Amino acid sequence: MKRDFFFAGLLWIVLTFAGITLVSQINLFPLSAAHEADIIDEAFLFLTLLGVPVFAFVLVGLIYSVIRFRQPGEMPEDGPPIRTSRPVTWAWLGITSALAVFIIFNPGLKGIRELTANREPDLVVQVEMRKWNWTFSYPQYGVAVVDAQELVLPVDRHIRFEVTSTDIIHSFWIPAFRMKVDAVPGQINILYATPTETGSFEDDINLRAQCAELCGTGHPRMRAGLRILESAEFEAWVAGQAAGSP
Amino acid sequence: MKSIFKGILGAIIGFVVGAGGLSLIRLATGLEPWKREPGIVIGYLFALTGWLLGVGVWDYWARGWFGLPVRKYEVTGWRRYFNFDPDHKVIGIQYLVTLVVMMLIAGLFAMVMRAELMNPGRDFLDPKEYNNIMSLHGMFMIMVAVTVISGAFGNYMVPLLIGAEDMAFPRLNALSYWLTPVVPILLLTSLAFQGWDSGWTGYAPLSVTNESGQIFYNLGFMTLGLSGILGAVNFLTTIIALRAPGMTWGRLPIFVWSIFSTAILSLLATNFVFVVLLLVLLDRIAGMGFFDAARGGNPILYQHLFWFYSHPAVYVMALPGFGAALEVIPHFSRKPLFAYRWAVAGFLGIVILSFTVWAHHMFTSGMSENPLPFMVTTELISIPTGFIFLAALGTIWLGRLWLKTPMLFGLAVIFNFLIGGITGIYLADVPVDLQLQDTFWVVAHFHYTIVSTQIFGLMTAIYYWFPKFTGRMYDERLGKLHFWWMFITFNTTFTPMFWLGIQGMNRRVAQYLPEFGDLNRWVSLSAFLMGASFLVFLYNLVYSWARGPQAESNPWKARTLEWQTSSPPPHENFPREPEVIGDPYDYGVPGSVHALIPVSGGSTDGDVVATSVALYPND
Repeated sequence: MKRDFFFAGLLWIVLTFAGITLVSQINLFPLSAAHEADIIDEAFLFLTLLGVPVFAFVLVGLIYSVIRFRQPGEMPEDGPPIRTSRPVTWAWLGITSALAVFIIFNPGLKGIRELTANREPDLVVQVEMRKWNWTFSYPQYGVAVVDAQELVLPVDRHIRFEVTSTDIIHSFWIPAFRMKVDAVPGQINILYATPTETGSFEDDINLRAQCAELCGTGHPRMRAGLRILESAEFEAWVAGQAAGSP
Repeated sequence: MKSIFKGILGAIIGFVVGAGGLSLIRLATGLEPWKREPGIVIGYLFALTGWLLGVGVWDYWARGWFGLPVRKYEVTGWRRYFNFDPDHKVIGIQYLVTLVVMMLIAGLFAMVMRAELMNPGRDFLDPKEYNNIMSLHGMFMIMVAVTVISGAFGNYMVPLLIGAEDMAFPRLNALSYWLTPVVPILLLTSLAFQGWDSGWTGYAPLSVTNESGQIFYNLGFMTLGLSGILGAVNFLTTIIALRAPGMTWGRLPIFVWSIFSTAILSLLATNFVFVVLLLVLLDRIAGMGFFDAARGGNPILYQHLFWFYSHPAVYVMALPGFGAALEVIPHFSRKPLFAYRWAVAGFLGIVILSFTVWAHHMFTSGMSENPLPFMVTTELISIPTGFIFLAALGTIWLGRLWLKTPMLFGLAVIFNFLIGGITGIYLADVPVDLQLQDTFWVVAHFHYTIVSTQIFGLMTAIYYWFPKFTGRMYDERLGKLHFWWMFITFNTTFTPMFWLGIQGMNRRVAQYLPEFGDLNRWVSLSAFLMGASFLVFLYNLVYSWARGPQAESNPWKARTLEWQTSSPPPHENFPREPEVIGDPYDYGVPGSVHALIPVSGGSTDGDVVATSVALYPND
């Protein structure tokens, strides 16, 4: 019995190390193009690193028992009549509770704090979604791009997206920013993001705005490319749009 | 069969009366006589009443209210299963067969979806057709998952496990069952009205503004809810009131506890989805505008009410699966269920907490500036869920594992749900959920939770109790083949979906970016293989049921009560009421006896001297 605990424990440690090594070696994430995306990726990675020993623990419990304690052939004799064990149950309660409470604070609460820390936008972009099109407006510049194929943003500016819908619920999602918020009729939902990379949909598919809430026939194709420009390029682009607008 | 014909006749008459009556009223008030959606809804209400009356409620039951003699159809053999029969064992089989057939149909829908998703572009379904199929797959499987284990094995086994003769309200039980075949018929009828494309979640305002097929989802889901509420009342009453002498709460088999917990959830939560589906119907047919922002309605309100049921419903799906796994594991480990009371506390803790977590489905909806409470409750629900793992691992550790097919499936419930549970932590974490919500991560996660508990749990229960409810033995080699085939292909199908989710593939799409093509092809091929594993299951089920070798009454040498009577059990289950004197899972405990079963001398002789035999005489 002591040997079983020893070997299972050893196996658990080995698997945990192997898992953590694997997780830190492979690149889990697609392109990240916003400050907020890094916060979210860090939270994901942290949860994965915490999840590995938990997963390995139960896995070892299952696999070790199945291999070590299986009885081939006909019905086995009765096993040892262990009904419960006070130290084991209370330790289990203590450890699982501590883990659950811990992840509420980190990465949960910590992540929310970081994502909502800065509520002073440099740029406001209004996103209006409808079946199955987008309008992106820049109220500070008096520019609105109707039926847009592309969302154009400047790099390194803190942007507040004000998202709404004129018909049914859609969802405004930029995979490279790791964030989405639903577009709800009669309501303006807010999302803050600070782009950190320039680029466009042609460079990387994660640079796109995608509808993420089922909205009928056009849903799969409801997306717009995202182009992130240097500040000066963006100013030129938005000036061009202002001049072009009727 | 006669009762089904009478039911169909009743439904037709009911529809004509309801829809015709509405048309007359409309005509009298100067409106055009026929309007499709109100006509269908009112017609359906009368048709459902007519169906129930025709199928047996009138003859078996309601005639008595009017002082008329109650008429029963005396039928035997397979015809009983097409009859309004109050015997819980008949009803259990009715549920089992109906829902397994639904599961296989839903699986075919999944195959169609995966065929379309083989390639990024459009293959043979346009997005509307894809959405219809996806909605049908979702709702069929939701129905299977909330109903199959409790409907089939809750009904069949709970009275046996607690030493009762039947359920508390046998006729109500038959009524609950005869509501269920209506639901898939309604859902399929939607296809005659352009289908419904809003998924099993039916979010407003989409579900208020789409084609008329939508109302069949609403009516079907409400009918299912009605059946579930009635069934829950029956389970609660049965378990509270009809336990055999000595069957204290602390000696209740764990499967009974899981059904008890499930019934609490069904009874208390189902009303909310009923209400919200009714509100959508009223928006559509009476123009109420509950979810129309322009008229002061609130689109997000739909989601709150919907998930206030539908999150507890996740546990309605999960708990019976846990119950089946934890029931089987001690018998096949020849060890007491470890930390029994903790497992029960886990079930009840989940029941309580599951009412407080619903808005974690709505972190991205803009419902609130402060999603924190729902993140906290969701993370905390992992604690009672953990007790189930504690019980399972503690039982198999140092056990004498007898790896028969039911045991393998029981262990697979635990393994698969481990993945489902851990990946749920990511979705409970608000920052990470902002990325993962509505992606394939979610699809993978809920298949890992629901398929692992309810479908693997169903297989656990079917193989475990197969000799009991059929009197025959399944083919062990085919059972193991089915297990390994399904277990491996399930994992190779759904694990890659987590990766697709991280990499940014959103769900509920018929077409997707070409970059996701290779992995989707893999998932589709793997899904087809998984689908094929059900052919092994189906063959084993049908063949063994018809031609399998006679089973002993207790082939697993299990201690619980259902095995201490013949297979299948006689109508009254036990010759006389058993007396429970010990714990159900005390394998290896010297001198422990679960129950004393009075044995009758002959098959018909009722009042033989009560020679109590201990099942497991002191050794």
